[in-house]
Amino acid sequence: MKASNLAAVPPRPLHACETKSSEFIQLRDVYKSYGENLVVMDHLDLDMRADDRLVIIGPSGSGKSSLLRVMMGLESIQGGTIRFQGKPYIDGNARGKGKPMDYSLQTQVGMVFQHYTLFPHLSVLGNLILAPMKVHGLSKAQATEKARALLARLGLESKLEVYPSQLSGGQKQRVAIARALMLEPKLMLFDEVTSALDPEMVIEVQNVMLQLAEQKMAMIIVTHDMHFARHIATRVVFCANGKVVEQGHPDQLFTQPREPRTREFLEKVLHLD
Amino acid sequence: MNYQFDFSFLNGNFGLLWDGLKVTLQLALVSNIVGLVLGFGLCLLTLSRWFFLRWPAQLFIEFFRCTPVLLQIVWFFYCVPMLFDVFIDPITMGVLALGLNLTAFNAEAYRAGVQAVPREHLDACVALGLRPWQRTLYVILPQALRSAIPVLMTNGISILQQSALVAIVAVADLMYVGKSIATEAYRPLETYSLIALIYFALSLPIAQFVQWLERRQDAALAR
Repeated sequence: MKASNLAAVPPRPLHACETKSSEFIQLRDVYKSYGENLVVMDHLDLDMRADDRLVIIGPSGSGKSSLLRVMMGLESIQGGTIRFQGKPYIDGNARGKGKPMDYSLQTQVGMVFQHYTLFPHLSVLGNLILAPMKVHGLSKAQATEKARALLARLGLESKLEVYPSQLSGGQKQRVAIARALMLEPKLMLFDEVTSALDPEMVIEVQNVMLQLAEQKMAMIIVTHDMHFARHIATRVVFCANGKVVEQGHPDQLFTQPREPRTREFLEKVLHLD
Repeated sequence: MNYQFDFSFLNGNFGLLWDGLKVTLQLALVSNIVGLVLGFGLCLLTLSRWFFLRWPAQLFIEFFRCTPVLLQIVWFFYCVPMLFDVFIDPITMGVLALGLNLTAFNAEAYRAGVQAVPREHLDACVALGLRPWQRTLYVILPQALRSAIPVLMTNGISILQQSALVAIVAVADLMYVGKSIATEAYRPLETYSLIALIYFALSLPIAQFVQWLERRQDAALAR
């Protein structure tokens, strides 16, 4: 049984609360397609509370990464609306007139990617303080102090002056998480951050995410690691063909999925475990 | 081979050779400066959003890449004064021809550097809230320039070699001086071998430096 030294399950409610009025995030009727044939988000609805940790699972092309990228503002949607913290965030129906996105809300979302995360021409410190200094106007001293404190919490304080090429994959991803955390986001998005790592480095990154979960950070995670998904999620969302097929508490969804499509997917995926 | 090498004719010609070398170095250095600076500007034009900026820039690059350097030099020397009714001194003409040629090749080198920056870095910049000009200045350019440097230096060395072509329009560079000494002393083998050695000695250290730089970059920029 793997993950024997994964951190403890952070606190979460016994039942996934699928409240209709979630003030934190609301996706309504979101539609996104590439051209005519490739629909990645098909009138998708999703809610999230401020203390939720959503894990999105599903087959490739089901819109999981697209959802994260849209939430981060990396890609646009062609229809539907997204509300964030009770305010309009992204409006897919605004064509030409009206703002398609509220950029002040975008700064409160942080994201960590799968590949090529850190800027190779800057040291770890350089990576961490670039955005706080240039976007939020912190002084170099303030930003450095903050970076030092963050890295200390992640156990990477000694790596402050080191360059990314000298770090292992797991260390790079942990620094990437720290870099996103420097901006104090309200929501963290993780796009398959451990999928490209060697197995022995996956745990250290997942433990950082669990540490964040302890501190009640709202997060949306896309992962193939079902064990970790079950461990960290307050709610698991199964997407296929751009729609939410089923969602629920991890214990319930993994053991007794209601929808046949979910069952079919889980059989394939958990069987490989 | 019963050829007897005889380098005695060189006595008394060192002054001429040195003058020729100075002209060659001048051509190479100034063309490089022109090529490095203008090449960057041209690259920005080729990457521009607007078609009416991109298209002439691309045409400029294609002209210099798709015609022989010799032709470009000859064209500049004979056609430009006639077309524009100006007289420019030969060395400046040489710099112009070589410099603009280098501009075109360097623009492609810069562009390759920019396009080699992984798209994920752009995503990371958006995720961090950096504005487009900040992305370009702090993330894209530093990486693009670093990866472009080996190619830019290689292009620079190659312009040093191409500068020999200005001998055809009687600019008194090293090649031209060599040719006239060879003809006068009836010693083409010795003269041209020596000239070749000089060009080689000028270029080799730079070429070795480029190799060293590339090795260092491969190690340092492991993404």
